[in-house]
Amino acid sequence: MVDSIVEKIVNGDVRTAAKLIGDIDNRVPGTREILKALYKHTGNAYIIGITGAPGAGKSTLVDEMVRDLRLQGKTVGVLAVDPTSPLSGGAILGDRVRMQRHSLDEGVFIRSLATRGQFGGLTQSTRSVIDVFDAMGKDYIIVETVGVGQDEIDIAKSAHTTVIVVVPGMGDHIQAIKAGIFEVGDIFVINKSDRSDANKTLHDFKAMIDITRKRSTNGGWEPPILMAEAVNNKGIVELLIEIEKHRKTRKALSPESIIHNKKAIAQLELIDMMKIRLVEEVLNHITNSLEFKECLDCIVDGTKDPYSACDELLSAKLPDGLQQS
Amino acid sequence: MSNNQRIKVLVSVIGLDGHFTGAEIVSRYLMDAGMEVVYLGIYQTPEMIVSAAIQENVDVIGISSHAANYEQINLLMELMKKNNFSVPVMCGGSIPPQDAEALIKKGVSKIFLPHSTSESIVDYIVSIVKK
Amino acid sequence: MKRQTDYGLEIKPVYTPEDIADLDYAKDIGDPGSYPFTRGYHPDGYRSRVWTRRMTGGIGSSKRTNEQLKQFRAMGQTQGMLIICDRPSAMPIDADHPMGRREAGVLGWHATSLLEFEELMEDIPLTGQSITLLGSAPLSALRLGYIVALAEKRGLDWRKVHGSVSEYPFGHIFGQTDNLPLDLNIKLWLDSTEFIVRNKLHIRSGILTQHFQESGGNNPQALAIEIAMLKELLGKLVNERGLDFDDLALIPYELVSVGSRFFEEIAKVRALRRMYAKMARETFKAKTDKACQLLIAVHTSSRTMTYQQPLNNIARCAIETLAGAIAGCTAIDNACLDNAYAEPSPFAARMSLNTQHIVSDETGVTDVTDPLAGSYYVEYLTNKVEEEAYKVLKQIEDMGGMIEAVKQGFIKNLMRESALQKQRDIESGERLVVGVNELVIPPEEDDKIPIQSVEASDSEEIADRMANWKKTRDIPLLKEKIAQLYADSKKGYDFNLMPAITEAVKAYGTAGEIIGVIRKAYGYHYDPLEMINCPFEL
Ligand SMILES: Nc1nc2c(ncn2[C@@H]2O[C@H](COP(=O)(O)OP(=O)(O)O)[C@@H](O)[C@H]2O)c(=O)[nH]1
Ligand SMILES: [Mg+2]
Repeated sequence: MVDSIVEKIVNGDVRTAAKLIGDIDNRVPGTREILKALYKHTGNAYIIGITGAPGAGKSTLVDEMVRDLRLQGKTVGVLAVDPTSPLSGGAILGDRVRMQRHSLDEGVFIRSLATRGQFGGLTQSTRSVIDVFDAMGKDYIIVETVGVGQDEIDIAKSAHTTVIVVVPGMGDHIQAIKAGIFEVGDIFVINKSDRSDANKTLHDFKAMIDITRKRSTNGGWEPPILMAEAVNNKGIVELLIEIEKHRKTRKALSPESIIHNKKAIAQLELIDMMKIRLVEEVLNHITNSLEFKECLDCIVDGTKDPYSACDELLSAKLPDGLQQS
Repeated sequence: MSNNQRIKVLVSVIGLDGHFTGAEIVSRYLMDAGMEVVYLGIYQTPEMIVSAAIQENVDVIGISSHAANYEQINLLMELMKKNNFSVPVMCGGSIPPQDAEALIKKGVSKIFLPHSTSESIVDYIVSIVKK
Repeated sequence: MKRQTDYGLEIKPVYTPEDIADLDYAKDIGDPGSYPFTRGYHPDGYRSRVWTRRMTGGIGSSKRTNEQLKQFRAMGQTQGMLIICDRPSAMPIDADHPMGRREAGVLGWHATSLLEFEELMEDIPLTGQSITLLGSAPLSALRLGYIVALAEKRGLDWRKVHGSVSEYPFGHIFGQTDNLPLDLNIKLWLDSTEFIVRNKLHIRSGILTQHFQESGGNNPQALAIEIAMLKELLGKLVNERGLDFDDLALIPYELVSVGSRFFEEIAKVRALRRMYAKMARETFKAKTDKACQLLIAVHTSSRTMTYQQPLNNIARCAIETLAGAIAGCTAIDNACLDNAYAEPSPFAARMSLNTQHIVSDETGVTDVTDPLAGSYYVEYLTNKVEEEAYKVLKQIEDMGGMIEAVKQGFIKNLMRESALQKQRDIESGERLVVGVNELVIPPEEDDKIPIQSVEASDSEEIADRMANWKKTRDIPLLKEKIAQLYADSKKGYDFNLMPAITEAVKAYGTAGEIIGVIRKAYGYHYDPLEMINCPFEL
């Protein structure tokens, strides 16, 4: 069963992959076994992260990048992540709108994903989807995320090249974007440079980056700032050239720093993976218990306050729960 | 349905129709009901819709049709059959009774007339996905 | 049930002089025929000329639409014709494009070549009636070419033809089919309008809010958008093309969508006349009265025509026609009883035309100009909708004008939010629509009406004809004209493409080819759907 699924995916079967990604997203039991078996087929794709505020033009940019990469004969997987509505748990995944012209191209696989889980976990399923694309043999995997939460920054950290997209006239916005975004950015793109205030933004931006750009393992890489007009297909070629340069710089790093980087990423991913399992499994364990339901009743009828309930549940269940699972 | 499962719906306008408001409003309703909507927008051919539905592994396809391009919906149904891909397809829009009948015969699972309530659409999707 | 205007203003049970205490008759209203034209442009209103009573036509092939037009003429529609194009033409792509083939002739006339215009107009006069060709901005430039070419063929002076064949470049923002990028759309609009003005043609361009409202936008938003569009487009012609505003003011016309909230719709049209007059005088320093008058036609609203119990639409159509007539307008075309189903059948068309004649000939509405002026309520509503419109207009202008507001998604948001509100009101029963959420009957008991349809085989036939006909053209001539167009297109944004387009039209270049070549010159894919390649070596 696992073997035949793995074989199909490695042979690039779209439906099997699509179904597996759905299962990953839905945390269907048993998918971990497939992912374990798939892992040895990964590690060949080049992963590009695209991050920036909503409406910055990321999807448009990705669409154009895909076009150019296809002209070069490369196969591409696109993973487009949009935020889940905190109120309803639903989401409108609208990135595909900008990329639909590639939908009939067999060399391109586009998949939309919502951020979902309340306990984090975005990085987890994203990482797994990247593995699926990778195992399918895609040359490039482009991951589009809205750069607002810690999760998104973590995703950026596991991409080989991270592109941060900003737009002119968003001075305040730049402040609002987590400072962490600046640290993970390998390339900065000022999109919508058809706007009149683009040059001012470039200026402001250089200043911002000079402040935050102090990384030890960058191997001398100076994050370039590019101007682009994604809707008019301007600046895309330059962006791909910079990505290629960055790729070469990474390759040229000393063996020690390569290992150092790999370790850092592995640590991040491993911690993330454990975090999700811990939180989910422990919480499931507690919320399914009789004590939990009793506590709820007590809080509702006023015989217990939630603070005490929390303390009691954790001290009663936690060590126990961990041993059991 | 567990905490991590969501109904995934593809919403698209089909053919050369440029009216997107209806599809956008329905998408919004579905999101508010906790569903994940892959929205494709306008100028989508049946071929593009089927391919996206496969890649996205959706549970349901919702097609908005602002009158008269039923031929495209027919093609969509034929294409799905040809690709051996079967998920329920629902259509919304002003579709005259006899055309509606023909579409149902082609395998469209449900047609929502103009001004259908959001509730009726959501309830239908939930019922059909559970099946 | 809500007692609010369509934009949420609370309505009181009664209005008194208090409500319009600040109104200054001479300054704010004026007699019919005098500034600010709140009451209309002619001192004796419809006595000098009744509005043009016409029907929307256009279905299938040009030959079929020609038949339909002749039928309409036989029904008494002789003052003017209004023909809408199909969706492939609107994109524009030709019928023989793989996607054109699937929808050619659906919901309109397939109109991508001069040949088709010639067939449409066979045995129908080009002068003596107003010629209105609607649907799609990019096609405007070609339609202008059709008029010029056919007039020449018939030995007529172009200037004798009157009507409107050009359309605003924002329709796709409001759900109209048209896949030309906005900037290029605006360029072509400027080119064709400049061509009209410089050649003194009597052709207008529709700067419309009909589509915005049909997609859900409310009344003050529509007014704001109309003024914003006019300000930006006319401003560009003055500033970038060096035209005189007083000449330009003869170009635009507005097609107002009139719904069933009777008084509010009348107030909207009155407010629009006043707002336009003020803009013309204050922003553009119009010298003549004529330049302060925006030509206004009325479309009885498709958004109010229900799918359920279609015969009810006859009543709606009558009420809306009366509202349009009272508001004052130059022409009315009706959304018919079968509007939610298809293009008008002969039955529906006759109903609609007759409705207009009942209103014009039986009710006495043509006797007196602007009969509701001075009504406390209507004057109050006129002031309020204008006030609200100026607020929206200010938001648009703070953003940098219509084009910027479109690019930033502001306009689409307005429309979407307003449409959502309307749908919620119907779902909650705050607004009642007979047959939809009130007095509902089971579908099987619903009225049976004749429905005009286009079969897949009709589309195929149009497509095959086009594919075969294309080969019979004078190819060397066509190539020469296309090459010229391509070369001109490379000469910059301000270089007028109309002469080259007209030449290509006369050589029977099609919309797919002509617009495709311009697209290509501007760095876009030749085909808006990126499915076929440019057939010319350029
Ligand atoms: N003016 C301008 N608009 C752009 C540019 N790139 C993208 N847009 C528009 O910005 C909007 C948002 O684009 P999208 O790619 O969806 O942004 P995302 O949310 O970051 O993925 C769309 O309307 C695009 O057409 C650009 O270079 N210039
Ligand atoms: Mg996006």
